[in-house]
Amino acid sequence: MTEVRLVDIEKRYGGFLALPKQSLTIEAGEFLVLLGPSGCGKTTTMRMIAGLEDITSGDVLIDNDRVNDKPPKDRDIAMVFQNYGLYPHMTVAQNIGYPLKLRGISKAECTARVLEIAEKVELEELLKRRPSELSGGQRQRVALARAIIRTPKIFLMDEPLSNLDAKLRVTMRAELKHLHHELGVTTIYVTHDQMEAMTLATRIAVMREGRIVQLDTPKKIYSEPVDLFVAGFIGSPSMNLIKGEVENGFFVAKGVKIPVQFSDRCDVVLGVRPEDLEIVERQRANIMAPVYALELTGDATLVTIKDGATSICVRGPADFEANIDEVCHIAPRKPEKLHLFDKSTGERLNS
Amino acid sequence: MKKHIFWTIERALLLLVSLIVLFPIFWMFLTSLKRPRDAYSISLNFKPTLDNFAMVFAEPWNLGSMVLNSAIVAGVTVLISVPCASLAAYSFSRFRVKGRKILFFMVLSTQFIPAVVIVLPFFLMFRSLGLLDTRIALIIVNLAIVTPFVIWMIKGFIDAIPVDSEEAAMIDGASRLRVIRDIVLPMAAPGILTSSIFCFILTWNEFLFSLILTRRDAVTLPVGLVSFRTERGDLWELMSAAGVMITVPIFIMAMIIQKHFTRGMTAGAIK
Ligand SMILES: Nc1ncnc2c1ncn2[C@@H]1O[C@H](COP(=O)(O)OP(=O)(O)OP(=O)(O)O)[C@@H](O)[C@H]1O
Ligand SMILES: [Mg+2]
Repeated sequence: MTEVRLVDIEKRYGGFLALPKQSLTIEAGEFLVLLGPSGCGKTTTMRMIAGLEDITSGDVLIDNDRVNDKPPKDRDIAMVFQNYGLYPHMTVAQNIGYPLKLRGISKAECTARVLEIAEKVELEELLKRRPSELSGGQRQRVALARAIIRTPKIFLMDEPLSNLDAKLRVTMRAELKHLHHELGVTTIYVTHDQMEAMTLATRIAVMREGRIVQLDTPKKIYSEPVDLFVAGFIGSPSMNLIKGEVENGFFVAKGVKIPVQFSDRCDVVLGVRPEDLEIVERQRANIMAPVYALELTGDATLVTIKDGATSICVRGPADFEANIDEVCHIAPRKPEKLHLFDKSTGERLNS
Repeated sequence: MKKHIFWTIERALLLLVSLIVLFPIFWMFLTSLKRPRDAYSISLNFKPTLDNFAMVFAEPWNLGSMVLNSAIVAGVTVLISVPCASLAAYSFSRFRVKGRKILFFMVLSTQFIPAVVIVLPFFLMFRSLGLLDTRIALIIVNLAIVTPFVIWMIKGFIDAIPVDSEEAAMIDGASRLRVIRDIVLPMAAPGILTSSIFCFILTWNEFLFSLILTRRDAVTLPVGLVSFRTERGDLWELMSAAGVMITVPIFIMAMIIQKHFTRGMTAGAIK
């Protein structure tokens, strides 16, 4: 199993600083998910590990071996590209089998392996087609198959499931999870899908403007976001962020008065996830506001209440019913699920 | 209705242009089939003959050796120029080396120099090397003229191929040369074929250097054509027959390109 270390790496494109100086260690056998908004440098990070992009300064170490000047082919990495990077003049089977062909594996064995992998990604009927004759999701699966046909030292997967339908995505996710369990190959994975990040990752790195702002287990990231950015980025629907202040042991904002164990201070933001709120009877309510929207998700109803600038989403039971503008009463389930952030710096406050 | 009128005008104009362009060629074909006494008549009523073709291949004209010279010079030029140019074009297209733009400009700038300016230095050089009136001299000169142009042309085709597939191949374990062989060449093939044929045509038609650098042994077809202007006057029917011999291979090649040219142009657009 392979450990990847990025030591003080920095990346500039001309004058543009894409990744400021930072270090990151990806442990052997780890499944690291990179999460972050578009343009935050996820692909750039991967391309530097793969050797497709020059590193402005710093070192990339694979198993303690400095690989800055090693060409991609000698790094023993398999990668699923965000834009697939298929070979347009080859058939699907040739595309998938190309890494094996390069390693001089016999035709018969190659064909057998291709068929086996094609079945895994449900492409066995399209093996004779060319990439231009495939749909986006089918192309993506070819790219995935080409990467997982061999066992490299490191897998780099840049949104490998982004173009698949919901059902296929779940199947493929399980397939990848199984693959990682089976082979234990160190994997770096980019996704925008919360579920994928949560279910696959051993650790998640949340990035913002080229910087890793939090690196932790999915559970920790979800339950203890270090700042407002991570809090707002992780979770779907996202965490409610309510601006207000702490007064005499209560967090107060318009229509909101919740007891908290923080000392008094102005300009704070209270963060609470929709599932950590519940709809209660009037006497127990800490939050009161008219209903703004109701969305049935199947197993629950997302109730959005709105009073002035404050808008709060709560996950209620599926059979919850109310009229728009009817006042709704809400309370947090557990006090420890309340997060407080400094409004100006965005940092998490601890009681 | 409007569309219809445009269509008609467009067709009429195209027809007119084609007529203007094609008429001399058509006339050349006719003349090549005429007897000497019919050569100057404009009547279409004559008895066609193939004697002229037999004559130009016989003594003293010996068109056969000129066809051979032209074919060898053009063929070898293509065989050397296109592989070299392909690699150069790939490098210019893909490697971000310092001074790349200046270097490429220098390659192109060779095309700005008028041939007449350099033909005499070349003559002197080849004379001192003892290469006058040899095919080697012609091949060297043609390589110098044609290669920059072919580099420029193939670079256009390679630029249009997205680098994604190449990067994928390198990750999959291919060396740079393997990438060129497995990925770039197949995708650029229509473009490279088109460029080869352009290169062949340019060399095949080259006149000035051939005229100055050859005398007897290495004479090429376009220069050979001049020898039909004799003291006895211009032998139009023979000249036409030789002209047909020059034109036909180019015609065939143009036809091949036509089929591949659009493919070459759109090769980069494959998703
Ligand atoms: N070749 C380049 N030249 C200049 N800037 C670049 C180049 N490639 C990427 N960038 C910039 O670097 C930043 C990071 O890009 P990157 O592709 O890594 O983002 P990403 O996190 O993968 O985004 P996405 O989720 O949209 O794929 C972006 O701001 C982008 O504009
Ligand atoms: Mg990206």
